[in-house]
Amino acid sequence: MIQNLPWLFLLLPLVVAAIDWLCFSKCPRTAATLSTLSAMATFGLCVAYLMGWQTGTPDSYTWMFAGDAAGLPSLSVGLLTDPLAMRMMLVVTGIGMLVHIFSIGYMKGDSSNLSRYFAGLSIFMFSMTMIVLADNLAMTFIGWEMVGFSSYLLIGHWFHKESAADAAKKAFITNRVGDFGFLIGILLTLAVFGTLNFAEMGGKAATIAPAVLTATVICLFCGAVGKSAQFPLHVWLPDAMEGPTPVSALIHAATMVAAGVYMMVRLQISMGEAAFTDTACTVIATVGAITAVLAALMAVQQDDIKRVLAYSTLSQLGYMVMAVGLLAGEAAMYHLYTHAWFKALLFLGAGAIIVRCHHEQDIWKMGGLSKRMPLTVICFLMGTAALIAIPGFSGFFSKEAILDAALAKNPIFFWVGAGVAALTTFYMARLCLVAFYGTARAHGAAEAKEAGPTMLLPLLILSVMAIISGYGFVADSLVPYEGFHAHGFALGLPFYVSMGSLAVGLLLAYAIYGFGKRTQDPLAGNALSTALRKRLYIDDIYDKGLIGFVQSSLARAIELTDNAGVRGIGTLGTAWLIGKFGKLLTWFQGGVLRRYAVVAALGALVFLFLIASATFTH
Amino acid sequence: MTNNTVSVLYTWGQFIPEFALVALAVLILMADCFTALPKRVYAIVAAVGAIIGGYFINTAPNFYGAFGTIACLTTALVLLLAYDYHKVACASIGGGDTEDGTAELYSLLLIACAGICCLCKARDIIMLFVSLEVVTLSSYVMAGYFRRNQGSIEAGVKYLVLGALSTGLLVFGAAWYYGTTGTFVLNAGLISEFFTRQSSVYLTGFYLSVGLLLLGAFFKAGAAPMQIWIPDVYQGSPTPVSAFLAVASKAAGFAVLSIIIIPFARLYPAFPDKVGVLASGIAVAAAATLLVGNLGAICQNNAKRLLGYSSIGQAGFILVFFTNIASAATVYCVTSYLVAYMLATVAAFFAIAMVRTQRGSEEISAFRGLGKTNPRTAFLITVAFASLAGVPLTYGFLVKYYSFEAFVEAMQYQSGLIWLLPFMIVGAAAGFYYYFKVLREMYWEKPQEGDTALKVPVVTAAVLTGCAIAIIWLGTEPLMFMPAN
Repeated sequence: MIQNLPWLFLLLPLVVAAIDWLCFSKCPRTAATLSTLSAMATFGLCVAYLMGWQTGTPDSYTWMFAGDAAGLPSLSVGLLTDPLAMRMMLVVTGIGMLVHIFSIGYMKGDSSNLSRYFAGLSIFMFSMTMIVLADNLAMTFIGWEMVGFSSYLLIGHWFHKESAADAAKKAFITNRVGDFGFLIGILLTLAVFGTLNFAEMGGKAATIAPAVLTATVICLFCGAVGKSAQFPLHVWLPDAMEGPTPVSALIHAATMVAAGVYMMVRLQISMGEAAFTDTACTVIATVGAITAVLAALMAVQQDDIKRVLAYSTLSQLGYMVMAVGLLAGEAAMYHLYTHAWFKALLFLGAGAIIVRCHHEQDIWKMGGLSKRMPLTVICFLMGTAALIAIPGFSGFFSKEAILDAALAKNPIFFWVGAGVAALTTFYMARLCLVAFYGTARAHGAAEAKEAGPTMLLPLLILSVMAIISGYGFVADSLVPYEGFHAHGFALGLPFYVSMGSLAVGLLLAYAIYGFGKRTQDPLAGNALSTALRKRLYIDDIYDKGLIGFVQSSLARAIELTDNAGVRGIGTLGTAWLIGKFGKLLTWFQGGVLRRYAVVAALGALVFLFLIASATFTH
Repeated sequence: MTNNTVSVLYTWGQFIPEFALVALAVLILMADCFTALPKRVYAIVAAVGAIIGGYFINTAPNFYGAFGTIACLTTALVLLLAYDYHKVACASIGGGDTEDGTAELYSLLLIACAGICCLCKARDIIMLFVSLEVVTLSSYVMAGYFRRNQGSIEAGVKYLVLGALSTGLLVFGAAWYYGTTGTFVLNAGLISEFFTRQSSVYLTGFYLSVGLLLLGAFFKAGAAPMQIWIPDVYQGSPTPVSAFLAVASKAAGFAVLSIIIIPFARLYPAFPDKVGVLASGIAVAAAATLLVGNLGAICQNNAKRLLGYSSIGQAGFILVFFTNIASAATVYCVTSYLVAYMLATVAAFFAIAMVRTQRGSEEISAFRGLGKTNPRTAFLITVAFASLAGVPLTYGFLVKYYSFEAFVEAMQYQSGLIWLLPFMIVGAAAGFYYYFKVLREMYWEKPQEGDTALKVPVVTAAVLTGCAIAIIWLGTEPLMFMPAN
């Protein structure tokens, strides 16, 4: 019995979501309390397990077998409680809990249905837990779709706003594109590895043809491209910022978008690094690098505080994916873990600022906030320091780990990483200088005041984590990777290069923006900056080129075939024919008793003849 | 033949539950005459009695006991349905406010149920025939029970005439059986002895007898060519009786079929040709049944008549299990299918009774707009019809899947039956169309002016909920009730 305690991670949020939805849809306070309590309970349980409490292996539950005989792959639900999973759970439940608490303050006075909001958060916690604790790929896929669903619900929480409803759809559909590849990858895995269970995949890679392995890994990677918003499917993440800010912090910064990285590392561990062929690795690392560079460039010219952070998330995810492609799963998870804390901090800080500026998100309409809400701003600055990798902050250690790995494997990726680091420093410094210093440039910013306690508390806790989580004494026991050991850093090429990037970024930002002395962006107006603002026209190409083309020509052709062939001849024709035939059969049932008796007797004769005549030949 | 006399085949102790059920029926009959309790009380008493009886029947060490349990459970549910249907019953029997004469129905249901339970223990044709007649005779009376309702009278008469035809065939078959084998006992050993000993002339007579016996079973089970009575009788009979005929009586039919076929099925390894004949005969009947039931249902507008055709169509899928004649799991599969069918069909009849009581019509169109006016009840009804149609995650899907699986298994040793497959596919596909007619009426049609929300009686609500939960629970636990092969 006790060994099944980890199932609570899954069941508690699920049950709470159901109760919130079905019973307390009119009592937002109760719903919020229940959801927050469930997040706290799962966090507590997670901490207990990490402290060394052991309850044995949880039972797994087999739903059905894929074949008749035993030993064939089955569809089952089981929990993995190895360090990779449990420490990832700490990130998920820890940030989840803080976001729940923050949400209570953030959503106060919002006119939308808060029960729906908290039920959505709980269903997300359930789905994310499903991905993290899954012991097989089929279960991962279910969680994968469920997080997509909950992210859809939460992005579209303010669905009366058209942009929010569109963003929710965009996120869902874009993810479906990646999931399609993922599903093919899962089926390929089943075909070549003969199992979906992570525990049973090991050691089989050596016997499989490299081309097949490459295809399998790349298909699986498609799932990560969608969920972790890698180029070319990155377009949904910036739009997802239409959702409430705590949601952006939890789902679109710390946990769900990192699920792609988590899944790839999980596969790397269970399939063995041999499964990741050189071609597959090159593809993965290149996609990551492209995403990191493009997103960092786009972030340079964004004015919306949440969008800057969104692009920075994209760019950091690109870093992690690059590390996965360099077979440095340890570094990827290290960065995932530090990034989760400081990016959640940045988003929640941004959320507090947005609320206090009367829902103003444009940094050019802020200014002077460091005087009005100093604590919030300090917390935000802690997060920024971690993100731009100032030595001593958590982000510095993990970024250094990735750069080390890149230099060892392939120097090109090292220099790409260094360039992105400089860009990151530049755009974050721009954001801080413009929004926090100088004087208020709009009415909202002028009236801003310090955030309330339910918002400040999570910010303070996350600030602490943003600073200390990178040091060995914390990281060694918390980084989601078995046997992780933070080896600090050495003075060497990576260190000097990243210090150089930091200095370049900071100096450039200061030279251009000063301490809040500008009222508009001096870089704006030229062709390059317009292109960056318009996201390098990628979204436009998708909208007009791809979607427009597909809808106007391809879909129309399919519709024609569908109408004439499938619906006309296939469906209506068959239905007409069968309906007529059925009517014919009911002619016997006209109600005349004599006819009944005759039909039954004739039928009986035919039946008897069939049975008895067969014996004539014996 | 001394070792096959009745005293060896049966013991008195075996039949205690049946005696108890009959005794309860007589008690209710007496109480109805001599006490002044409201008649509906007896329905509850009888239902409780039937459930207890069903519990004890299952404990008897008996291969076919499951059919009896299904019959008892159905009888209990039908009695509860009669409890909710009391108002219409009063109007159709005494005419107006008096409830005189409504309680005999409960006794009759119990007696019929006892007949089915007896039937499951039959090892020879005499016992089979006598218990079957107990069921049939009480059913005649029940079908025509609403004596102020023309449809009910008509149903009673039609059932009587066609039933007499089928009983005639059954007795004729019994005579041929005795004539060719010299015994009434149905036993694999005897048949095997007969197969090795006899020439082909005797064999033809023997098959004729088995064919006639099967036709008698087909009548009860509602399989072609003996399905002809079903639509009219279901439509005309009082709704609780229709439910009884649709489920309990059908279970009796399949019990008879199993009792006749299984001794042969055991002999398949020894006499593949001789036993295979029966399998192909049943396959022909299954194909005809699937066709008549599922296609005939397409153009129905009356909900009870629709369920009549549906009961034929479902019988076709059950017959497919018997084509897999070498399987040891046939009885298990058949009873599973019957359980799924019972859960959904009884729920559907409860819904029809409720609509009939409050909207005065049994047409499918009377379900209009329930999705708007009674969303929860509409959902429960949806589950029942989805299960009948075979929507995944309902038990109905799972048992239909078993039916296809049995067919695939049968293909491995008698590939000549492959022609049955299109009939199964067409039947399964047509089901989606006609069962969803009810759902379309509930969700797509708007309530008409003056349609108020139905008041759902407590018993109906409880049964609908229970059935829906059971359907989904069993449907999502495929491993729990896997066929034991």
